[in-house]
This record gives sequence, C-alpha cells and structure tokens, in this order.
Amino acid sequence: MHDRTTVDLLQGTLAALILKSLSWGPLHGYGIARWIEQITEDELLVEEGSLYPALHRLQARGLVTSEWTLSETNRRVRCYTLTEHGRQQLRAELSRWERFSEVVTRALQSRRPKTA
Amino acid sequence: MNERARRERRIWRPEIGADIDEELAYHLEMRERDYRERGLSPADARDAARRRFGDPSTIRSAVRTIDERAARERRRAGMWTDFRQDILYACRGLRRTPGFTAIAVLTLALGIGANTAIFSVINTVLLGSLPFPDADRLVFIWNTSDGQPEPIGPGRLRDLQTQVTSFESFAGISHISFTLTGRGEAERIGGSSVSSGFFDTLGARPLVGEPFHKGVADPSAVVLSERLWVRRFGADPSIVGRTITLNGRPRQVVAVMPRRFIWPAITAQPSAADTGPELWVPGGPGDVPRPATNEDEDMTGHRNTGYLRSVARLKPGVTFAQARAEVASAGTRLSRSHPEDDGRGATLVGIRNQFAGAVERPLLVLAGAVAFVLAIACANVASLLLGRGAARRRDLALRRALGASRARIVRQLVTESIVLSVAGAAAGLLLAWWGSASLLSLTPPDMAGLTRSGIDARVLLFTLGIAVAVGLAFGLVPAIELSRDQLTDALAEGGSRSSGSRRTSRTRDGLVTLEIAVAVVLLVGSTLLVRSFTALTRVDTGIDTHNLLTFDITVTGDRAEYQSRQVQFYDSLIQRLEAVPGVRAVGAAVTLPIGGDDFGTGYLVEGRPVPKTALRAGYQIVMPGYFHAMGIPIRRGRDFRSSDDRKAPPIVLVNETLARAQWPGQDPVGRRVRFDDDGQWMTIVGVVGDIRHLGPSRPPRPELYQSVTQRSFPFIAFVVRTERDPYDVMPSIRRAVVSLDPDLPLSGVRTMDEHVARALSKPKFLSTLVASFGGLAVSLAIVGIYGMMAWSVTERRQEIAIRMALGASREKMLTMVLGRALFLAAIGISLGLAIAPLATRTLSGLLYGITPTDPVAFAATGVALGAVAALSALVPALRAARVQPAAVVKY
Repeated sequence: MHDRTTVDLLQGTLAALILKSLSWGPLHGYGIARWIEQITEDELLVEEGSLYPALHRLQARGLVTSEWTLSETNRRVRCYTLTEHGRQQLRAELSRWERFSEVVTRALQSRRPKTA
Repeated sequence: MNERARRERRIWRPEIGADIDEELAYHLEMRERDYRERGLSPADARDAARRRFGDPSTIRSAVRTIDERAARERRRAGMWTDFRQDILYACRGLRRTPGFTAIAVLTLALGIGANTAIFSVINTVLLGSLPFPDADRLVFIWNTSDGQPEPIGPGRLRDLQTQVTSFESFAGISHISFTLTGRGEAERIGGSSVSSGFFDTLGARPLVGEPFHKGVADPSAVVLSERLWVRRFGADPSIVGRTITLNGRPRQVVAVMPRRFIWPAITAQPSAADTGPELWVPGGPGDVPRPATNEDEDMTGHRNTGYLRSVARLKPGVTFAQARAEVASAGTRLSRSHPEDDGRGATLVGIRNQFAGAVERPLLVLAGAVAFVLAIACANVASLLLGRGAARRRDLALRRALGASRARIVRQLVTESIVLSVAGAAAGLLLAWWGSASLLSLTPPDMAGLTRSGIDARVLLFTLGIAVAVGLAFGLVPAIELSRDQLTDALAEGGSRSSGSRRTSRTRDGLVTLEIAVAVVLLVGSTLLVRSFTALTRVDTGIDTHNLLTFDITVTGDRAEYQSRQVQFYDSLIQRLEAVPGVRAVGAAVTLPIGGDDFGTGYLVEGRPVPKTALRAGYQIVMPGYFHAMGIPIRRGRDFRSSDDRKAPPIVLVNETLARAQWPGQDPVGRRVRFDDDGQWMTIVGVVGDIRHLGPSRPPRPELYQSVTQRSFPFIAFVVRTERDPYDVMPSIRRAVVSLDPDLPLSGVRTMDEHVARALSKPKFLSTLVASFGGLAVSLAIVGIYGMMAWSVTERRQEIAIRMALGASREKMLTMVLGRALFLAAIGISLGLAIAPLATRTLSGLLYGITPTDPVAFAATGVALGAVAALSALVPALRAARVQPAAVVKY
C-alpha cells in the first residue's frame, strides 16, 4: 500500500469536498466517499469516521438536505442534495481556497531574502 | 445502568438511530461489493470493508449526537414559529370581534385588577421586609391575663429578663406624650421612653448623630424621628447637639432615626387611636422606661403597674417556640412567688404578628373575596369563549380535517385565551394602580402600612402569573371542548343543533351554575360583614356622641408648681369654656372613652376576703361635671363636686356593670373599695350608666371613676357639648384656651362622632370592600346568565319556532326559558349555600352581633340571587316568546 493522506489536513476541507461532490447532483454517503477517492486517485483517504459526522453536520447547518430513495436493488438509501445555501457556501469555500493556496504557494516558493 | 446511559436512552429516538444504522450498513455493503468486484473473495472483501470502516458504534454515536441536536433545534424553532403564529392569529381573531374582546378584557381586568390591588397591599404589609437586621429574631413580651395580652409592670419585667435565657438582648418600652415648646406653637407629640439598649436590640442605625446605647444613656438625651425632624425643625442639619424643650425640661438631641425605621405604637390590643412615636428618650431611675403619669417616679419596684411593652432579640439557635415556652413557664413561676403579679402568665409575639397581626385576617379575607371575583370572571370568559367558539366550530373542524392535530388546535385556542388574559392583566394593573388611591382613602389608621404599598417587581410577577394561570383556567375547557368535533359532525350541522353545540350548551350550563354558586358565597360573606357593620353603628355606646367636641391639654412647666394648681387651672378653663357662646356643657377626663387612653386597675371590696383572682376594673379619672357633658346618666347617688378635694375623704363612682357584679340587687352607695396596691378605702358615692369605653364592638366592663380633684394628672382631655356643629365653635374655644395660657398646646381636636367613626374604620373598610367585591361578583354573574341564556335562545330559535308552529303558546316559550334559568340558578344557589359556611367561618372573629351562619343572611342571599337570575333571563325569554315561526322555519 502506498502512502495516503487522510483528510484532516485542514478543518473545512472535507466539508468543501463533500459540497463539491454534490454539486453535480444528489449522492449517497458511499458515493461521496468514492467520488473523493476517485477524483484524487486514492491519494486522499476519506475515513467514514469523519465523513458521516461531517455530512450530518452540513445537514444540520442546512447546507445539504437528505431524503430516502430506493436503490436499483430496492434498498432504502439516504441521498444528499446540495441546497441553495450549500451552493453559495461552496462558492465561498472555493474562492477562499484559491486565495489560501495562492498565498501559501507564494510563501513556500519564495527565495531567501537578501540581507544588506 | 450509569447516568449517561440512562440519559441517552431517554432522549434516544428510534427513527434517528435506525436511519443511521441503515445508512452505515449500506455504506459497508457497497464497499464490500467494490472489493469483490476488484477480485477479493467474499470473505476477504467483507473483512477488508470492516477494517476500512473502523468502529461503527463510534461513528454512529457521533452522528446521532449531531442529528439529535439538530432535531431539538428544529423543534424549538418550530414551536417558536407556531407560538408567534398563534399569537398573530389570536390577535387577528380578537380584532375581528371587538365586542367580545372588550367584554372579555374588561371582565378579566376587573378580576385581575382587584387581585393585584389586594396583593400589592399584602406584599408590603405582610410580606414586606422590616427595616431591622435579622428582623425575624425580634419578639415582643406581654403579660397574659385570661389569655389576653397586656403590658407588664417593671419589677416583673426585670425578673423575666434575668430568668429567661433565650434572649440575646432586651429593652422595655413605654408610650408617653411630650409637649414641645419654645419654637413655634406648642405641640403635643407622641413619644416613647425606652431602656438604654433599645436601639442596640433592634440593630437600628440613625440617619444622623448617634442614639444612646446599652448602659450609656444621658438621661436628658432625645432621639427624633425623621418625620418630626423635617416637620418641626426643617431638617436642620445641625440638629444634633441642640437643646429642645419637652414637657418643660431641656433635652439634648443626640440622633435622628431615618424614615425607613418604621416603629408603630406597640399595643396589646390594636386600637384606632394608636400612632407611632415620633421621639425616644431613655428610661428613668433603674433604666426603667418612664411612666406617662410622672416622668421622674422611680418605678423599679412596681410589679402590678402594667405600662411596659418590651422587645427582645432571640439568641442565635433559639427557636421562637422554645423562647415562648420558656417565657410562659417563667411568667407562671414568678406569679407563684409574687402574689401581686395576680396570677398572670407571660407570652411572646413575633414582630410580624405584632406589627401586622391586626390586619392580617382582614387582608386574607379580602384576598379570598377577590379570588372569588376572579373565579367568576374566569367562568364568564370561558362561557363567552364557548359561545364564540360555536360560530367557529366548522372552521376548526375543517382545519383538523386538513391535518392540524388536536393538540395543535388546543394550543392555538389556549394561546388566544392567554393573549386575552394578558391584555386583561395589563388593564387590571391600570385599575389596581388607579384603585389603590380609593383604597387608601378608606384605610383605617392602624392599617397605615397600606400607604407604603405599591406595585413592585413581586406584584408584577404575581399579576403575570395570575394572567397565565387564568388564561389556562378559562381557555382550556372551551379549547378541549371545541377541538373535539369531527368534520362530519360540524359540517352536518347545517343550521340545526348538532351534538357538538348541545355539548357546548351543557358546558356553559355548568359554568353558569358554578358562577352563581361562587357569587352566593361572596354575597353571603358581604351580607354578614355589612350587617355586622350596621349593627356596630347602631350600638348604644352609652354616650351622647352628637355635637360633642374633644381635645387634649397637657400642662407644661414646672410640675411642682402646677400640681397644686392643676385642679384650679382645669376649673378655670372649664369656666371660661362654659362662657363661650354655643357651648352647653364642658367636662374633662384623663381617660376619654373610644380612642382615648385607657387605664385598668385591680380592686378590693371592704369586708370581703381577697379573692383568688383579682377583681379588675377600668380606671377613669374625671372632673366634676364630666358625666353631664358626656350625657352619661347618674343612676344613683351623686356626681363628684369641686369640694371633693385632697383634704376630703376619698370617694369613687362605679358603673352599673360593676355595681351589678358586686352588689346584685343592692345599693352600692356608701360601700367602700380600694385599689389593690393602695391602702386607702374609698367610699362609693354614686352609680353611673355603662359606656363602651373601648369602642362600640367591646361590651361594657366594670369601671371605677375617681375625681381629678383627688388624683390629678399633667394631661387631660376636654369634652365640650355644643349647640351646633362643634367645629363652628372651635375658634372661640381656642381663643379661650390661649387667653388662659398661650403656651398650652391644644391637640387631638376631634368630635366624638369622629372618634367613633375611627373606631369603626376597620369594620367599615372591610365591609365596604367585601361588599363592593360582592357587587362586582353579582354583576358578573348577571352578565354570565344573560349571555348564556341569550346565546341559548339564538341557538334554539328553530326549535322554538317549530314548537310554536305546532301550537305551543308564547307564554309556554317564556316559561320554558325562564324555567331553565331558574333551574340552573337553583342548583347554583344550593351549591353556594352549602359551601358558604366553610368560607364564612374565616369571618368569625371579624363579625359583631351576627354569627357566620346567620340564617337570615343565607336566606336573603339565596332569594336575591334567584331574583337576579330571573331578571337576567327575562330579556332572552321575551325574545324567545317573540320568535316568528314563519320567519324562522322557512330556512
């Protein structure tokens, strides 16, 4: 097994990823986990112990809603949908992330300042 | 099971837990399937999925916590939204029916306002804080004689003080009046002489200066009340250290007590004449509070001269009951070793009882009366709500059919009643605030605590609490009743009476019956009090009180000089007053009946053995001519004469009660009696008519009269019988007094009728208030009966029309409606009369000349309410008789 990074790097990162995963349409919990794993090519490992509390917290904050649907195998499945509020939050997270990564990148790539 | 688990189980909601389990199980299955698809064996796939997943129970409990908190918040938000919606809806609904709303709010305002007003008084008088640290450790010590409290003699008090171990500190108190001269008009001021430890015992702090302390009291010191300081000395900041003249002797002001130092007259039996002292001086010889008769007399040895009251502070840890038991046994023990203690007992009275005991019961009676009024108001509004609800029945049934739960509808209806009752409470607060002014104008002097009453946070809280309780009380019944309907019932009710409206009608019948019962109880109570008060006003006091003016005179200056001249002085004043035009007769007495001073004495009859329990009599000291001026008849023998002076043999007069008790059927004139602490025999020279010395409610008791010419006092009260309104003659009287001595203060100017009115002020206060609450109750009951019958006639219009179309006469319809009202009234009245004795029992000590179960009062009330019920139902009944069958049946 190769090294993987668990998603607890930054608080809010997992929440942002969940919101992103739902931006194309409703998904169940496992679907969200799989999407993150696939999109990061298994670089990021989503722990269920973090995923579900995060999901339900987002639901409590009104960023996502859930409803029970039937799967193709006729099982009850809880599907999460992004709310309008969640969509706005995602946009805000994105721009914040961009600014953040830009700043951090610039900082990490900076050269040693010349001393007088 | 540990506490945490129990708590979790309590808030555990099955659907939340099950949902989470299902969600997580699905996740596991999907992961397992993925692993299988990647080529793992089913068993390996399963293990791998499990391993990957981690501990499901941790995840589950974390998620559940989140979900449950969210659910709680949602519920709370939902409730708040519902509540706001209900209030808005209620306000809209109430605005749509302004007539109903106005009547309901007014009814509730009367009920709640009366309760608030009375509670605001109770709040200050009975529950208010006392201005002393640890005030509830303060107690008052009284002698008891035949179970009645009375003041104590100094010798006995000193013995009690040394023998009782329950007290931390202790102070004697006497009441004396002082004449303040030297600055402005001479004035007689009620004061108090107290042991040096008085202020220490109370823990009272002065406004300015420093009061005297235990063991260190300059005998010429005086402490002023703030009231006197402001009134007489213009709140002079340099008052401390100044010398003022009291009873012709210089005294140095050492301190001023603040206004919040509330100190009433300390009396065994509260009387309307009592006013709190305005100044305090230290005791006389032996630190014994000075007697009213002679400030300088050494009283330490006197055991039987009962003029002392006493306040003590209980030691920490000693209960009131323990202390009282100790005082009682010490009192009995002392009486055994000292025959002159006349076998008296001793007891303690707590400070709240001492200060407010006399008003506690009247106040509680009033509280009961207003509670009854409120109950009727509630029944009325509930009945109104039911009548109004009938119109909304279909609306409510429809809402239920559309999915509103019954609880939701009940909540909405109850919210509506609470909105009503809170509006009523707000209006009631205004009424209470406004009504407290008229309450004050009726206030008897010894209920003076009322002047301090006001609306504070506690009163507001009480009113709010009442409003909510009342809203629930009158809202719940109609709400449950109205929410019971099913849609089918209500919709089927196409104008004819349904089971629902019949049920409503039964509930309203019950409410009206109850209302009548409560009105009966209140009316019986007020009838008793009013009849008792009327009886009191008709009591023959033995005095002709009409056109009789009274005022007090205190002789100032050097006592020794005056003592010899006092009688002469009083004589010449009487002569001058008799010369004033409009004056018919003049008399004078040290102790004036009804609101004046009162002395008592033990006495012995010559030639008879000393009885086991001492003979007691009232002791009055009067000038010759007093009986004539007062209109008291001399039944036998003669009046005092000016020639009965100190050199003449000592004589007394007795009243008829004493004569009857000692010499039944014989003439007492010529017999001799003496005071039990004084060796001289005194001959009875006459018998006078009985009077009620202590006021109309107290029956005549034995009285001994002595002449001022043989026993003089530095103060005296004059009575002037005038030909017309005594106040018209007052200026001439004042001039006559000043012409004799410009420094002579003339105080307490009142007519005897005013004294009597003052003595009756408390029964008047109580009966007036209870009667007005009774009147209020009856008016509310009229509104209730009328509203109910009017509604019922409207409801039954069709039935009435059909009956009439089928041949029933108008008279029949009239009697049908009236009969129904009378039937309900009969049940209510019987119920009320059955309950009333329980309520009127509380009046037993407050009634005069009538028992709490007076059959006349009960019967009269029953008849009166029956008549009221019939009258209230008359208009609806006439309307029923006027129904035009053709106009109604057509629908």
